[in-house]
Amino acid sequence: MSLHPITDVAGLHRHLEAAIQLEHATIPPYLTALYSIRPGTNSAALQVLRAVAVEEMLHLTLSANILNAVGGSPDLTVPGFVPAFPAYLPDGETDFEVGLRRFSTEAIDTFLKIERPAPADGESIRTVERPPRPTMLGAGKVADDSEEHFYSIGEFYRAIEDGLIRLEAEHGPELFAGDPRRQITPEFYYSGGGEIIPVTDLTSARAAIRLIAEQGEGDGGAIFDYEDEIAHYYRFQQLVLGRYYQAGDVAGSPSGLPVDVDWGAVYPIKTNARVSDYPEGSELRRAAEAFNRDYAGFLALLTGAFQGEPARLNDAMGDMFRLKDLAGQLMRQPLDAAGMEHAAPTFEV
Amino acid sequence: MTEERNDRFEVSPEAASSIAYDVAVVGSGVSGALIAKELSGRGLRVLVIEAGPSHDLTVAEYETSLRRFYGAASKDNNAPYAANANAPMPRSTDTTKLRPGEPNADGYLVQLGPLELDSTYTRVLGGTSRHWEGKALRMLPDDFALRSRFGRAADWPLGYDDLEPYYRRAEFELGVAGEVEEQDFAGLRFAPDYVYPMHGMPRSHLDRVIADDLDGLEVARDGETFALSVRGTPQARNGVPNAAYDGGRGYRPVGAVSLHQAELGERCQGNTNCTPICPVQAKYDARRTLFQALGTGRVDLLTQAVASEVHVDPASGRVTAIDYQAYADPASAEHVTGTVRADVFVLAGNAVENARLMLASGLTGSSGLVGRNLMDHAYLLTWALMPEPVGALRGPLCTSGIEDLRTGAFRRQHAAFRFGIHNDGWGWATGSPYGDLEELVDRRNTFGPALRRALVQQISRQVLMAGMIEVLPDESNRVTVDPRYRDRLGNPRPVVSFGVPPYTLEAAAFARRLSRRLYQRLGAEDHTAYHPAEPGWVSYQGEGYVLRGGNHWAGTHVMGTSPRASVVDADQRSWDHPNLFLAGAGSMASIGTSNTTLTLAALCLRSADTIAKDLETAAAPVTATAGGAGA
Amino acid sequence: MASTDLRAEFLALSAALTGFSVFRLEGTGQTDAYLTTIGDIVGEATVDALVSVHRGLVDATGGDEAELQRGLRRELLSDAKLGPVARNLVKLWYVGTWYELPAAWRDTFGPSLRDRTFVVSPEAYTEGLLWPAVGANPAGAKPFGYGMWAKPPRIDTV
Repeated sequence: MSLHPITDVAGLHRHLEAAIQLEHATIPPYLTALYSIRPGTNSAALQVLRAVAVEEMLHLTLSANILNAVGGSPDLTVPGFVPAFPAYLPDGETDFEVGLRRFSTEAIDTFLKIERPAPADGESIRTVERPPRPTMLGAGKVADDSEEHFYSIGEFYRAIEDGLIRLEAEHGPELFAGDPRRQITPEFYYSGGGEIIPVTDLTSARAAIRLIAEQGEGDGGAIFDYEDEIAHYYRFQQLVLGRYYQAGDVAGSPSGLPVDVDWGAVYPIKTNARVSDYPEGSELRRAAEAFNRDYAGFLALLTGAFQGEPARLNDAMGDMFRLKDLAGQLMRQPLDAAGMEHAAPTFEV
Repeated sequence: MTEERNDRFEVSPEAASSIAYDVAVVGSGVSGALIAKELSGRGLRVLVIEAGPSHDLTVAEYETSLRRFYGAASKDNNAPYAANANAPMPRSTDTTKLRPGEPNADGYLVQLGPLELDSTYTRVLGGTSRHWEGKALRMLPDDFALRSRFGRAADWPLGYDDLEPYYRRAEFELGVAGEVEEQDFAGLRFAPDYVYPMHGMPRSHLDRVIADDLDGLEVARDGETFALSVRGTPQARNGVPNAAYDGGRGYRPVGAVSLHQAELGERCQGNTNCTPICPVQAKYDARRTLFQALGTGRVDLLTQAVASEVHVDPASGRVTAIDYQAYADPASAEHVTGTVRADVFVLAGNAVENARLMLASGLTGSSGLVGRNLMDHAYLLTWALMPEPVGALRGPLCTSGIEDLRTGAFRRQHAAFRFGIHNDGWGWATGSPYGDLEELVDRRNTFGPALRRALVQQISRQVLMAGMIEVLPDESNRVTVDPRYRDRLGNPRPVVSFGVPPYTLEAAAFARRLSRRLYQRLGAEDHTAYHPAEPGWVSYQGEGYVLRGGNHWAGTHVMGTSPRASVVDADQRSWDHPNLFLAGAGSMASIGTSNTTLTLAALCLRSADTIAKDLETAAAPVTATAGGAGA
Repeated sequence: MASTDLRAEFLALSAALTGFSVFRLEGTGQTDAYLTTIGDIVGEATVDALVSVHRGLVDATGGDEAELQRGLRRELLSDAKLGPVARNLVKLWYVGTWYELPAAWRDTFGPSLRDRTFVVSPEAYTEGLLWPAVGANPAGAKPFGYGMWAKPPRIDTV
């Protein structure tokens, strides 16, 4: 069997749950790179990483809105929701690992792979089946010995959009029978990078998907989306190419103001650190465990926000700021006498 | 170091001199930026001249200002901005106790007293909005009619209802967060169904604790009884957009200014640093408006150019040109002098700088009032420790205040005032938390865990209530120039004389008595103390008070109905020079108990309408010159 | 980085004086900057003296916290030379500012050109421990999030 195309509501729910999981899965890697930058340095990289991380939060929330609209129930607390890093993401023609690592060219290479644009034709949705990997995407599993992967996140969302259209034709507006009070509206959500879209029907659902897809990869490779936002892929590319994109540029040749990157001004954090790397009984270990508990608490707050108490989103944002400070404290702890390697939050939830 | 110009919208001094502009605006603060935006939006070609550098149109540059603040030992309200001897600015740290007959010329302002004023302003892109706190209070209907209601000062040439539509526009431009329902005091009126663009800032925990005990407290004054209540303070800070705004169309908050994409500042995060610099740019400052003005393609920006002289045609009284001194390097006095020509000129420095430039040009006004009637609010600070930790040093600096004594029959006898409830502890009054740390470590010999516990008790319980007291116009309070005092470019520095009359002091004494009662009711330890050695110390009826400035410079070119008794008319047009507008708080005939920014914004939006009308009816085909990059 | 021993002992001394754990002090990222600052101004010999007094007290008091505190008062904080430096060290960790030493200290032990009141770096300010001690954040850095100020403060008990 194949999950694509989506032919029933259960399949739609499964894909949307996977979308939430997928959007979330990119957040710990982005935050790790972001927080590893030494304060007062790398302003451009800081802005790019922060903007992308914030938009992933937006995408996660938009996916939750769609799922709520079609009668599902987002739950970020289910076991296995947070992948064990390094993890394989279920997009990409070829496999790649996504890990928790310091801001570096390797990290940006991975981020570019995550945000790789879908082909411009917009028609085909290409998938590939592979033997199972320790990946986190439940929806990818089509049989015990096989998983289905989409070529790009854009194609994954196109599959969801197809499913929405198909099921709406079948069920009519009844498809969107979810409780509208569960929608996260602009009142509760703030960030740059696009408005939160409450989803109540096919039109708003498609608008939400369009926003997610275009912010991530650009529309068929376009640098700027319909809101004149730079797609994530090109935001990251600016750091490698050393210039900002501006209107009229072609992909690969940004011509705006120069972007200065200091790859050395970074805490030398351990890649894919684990709590078990830290001495038992040490304050460092307790702090790493506390970070993970608080991160789980953050996901629980988000879940509450998505399950009918949208005002809790604000508390979750407050948690994010606190987690950032805790992450900073961890990243400044030398793991060896010479300070060659530092600790990091492990996101083991 | 020579500063590079951004050729997207900055003009060179040579180019600026060669272009005939429709309107030339001196100053890029709230007044200048709003007028530039309004007029360029209507197709006019505008030049904005700014004395400071063009810094901070990118987030990275803005962060340089932020880091300068972090690294500054004195975190006063100009700490984020580099000192610039070509466009110097006052700093509160320059204020010293005056001795009779000895001016304080240590800083940029030359202070003659008798009251030492620690007010400042900022000469950078965006003007003093770069360090304002963001309170956006409308003036009260009574404030426009002090003479007819209370027999004091002069009535304005326009009333609250004339200005009301412009208040609404100003609240849009500045992005004000507030709740109309909370503003039902002292006759304040809003248009039917009006809501602020954004919901009010949530009240701080401290506000709630205080409101629990103070709401409903009755204060009798001059035959009237006022029931006090703690109310949210409208402020130009991004919050939750109100879906009911604009007839249900809502409002989209405007975030950080940046030449490239940076999503930041669409909502306050509680950095507790509104003054001087919001790290995420959730607080409005005039760069936002200026940036929108530049986006029309019809605004040229000439930075590092100090307006030095206004030239007038003696026959017609019309302004023919304004000279400026353009410098390439803030570290060097080297400069070239240029001349800007335009149909209409707008001085939008601020009340002090506008007057200084006029007086430096020999333009004292036929009324002789240019530079006179200098006003500011007199702040009486009171501070106490609440019984329990209330979480001081969190949230925007002020989220609530007590507004009920902002008008009443008592204004025949003494000034009106309001209390701002401060979430940032005693810092303004005592230098806390630094002073507290020094006290505990150096004198109370506390260290280790005991120090941490003592700091909680000493800091987290802090509350400061700032009494903001009206000061009426008085011709002897003034800005003058004196050839003996000049800055590095040779421009005369402002010489300030300022004192407060018994009318204000009586209100200070009343506010102090009331604050004692409030703290008694709260069970708070009143630690307020005023020392004769402090600048701003005044004695009144046997008791001493310290009055601080509010940076609300106003009145130096008051508006009125007659050229004999005022400098400008209700449109801020100079009576003597028909194509010259003196814009900003300097035009205010009185300042009531509202921070001046929202009102000056409303006045400038009104003036922009007038200027546009002037130029539309003028013979010159003005729209033909609106070429620019946008055409 | 300074020698491993000195660095560790400096952190241990700082923890005793500030009431914050070594982990929390390291979490500010300022250890090396402060060790350098203090050494540059009062000389490495004085820094050595500070940490060795503390080391001696730790050895002598064998984990008795009250005795250690007493020893710090008697041998460090009331010492004419070390006391003002120790108090400055506390303030350094709390607000990132080096305070000019008292005039009497300068007269007796010799002035240093760098001994004036200054903020060690922008990060020294934003990492100041005074703010977390009182459940707040340094003004202009490290926000709590929109509306969080409406809740009672979260203050760690010590």
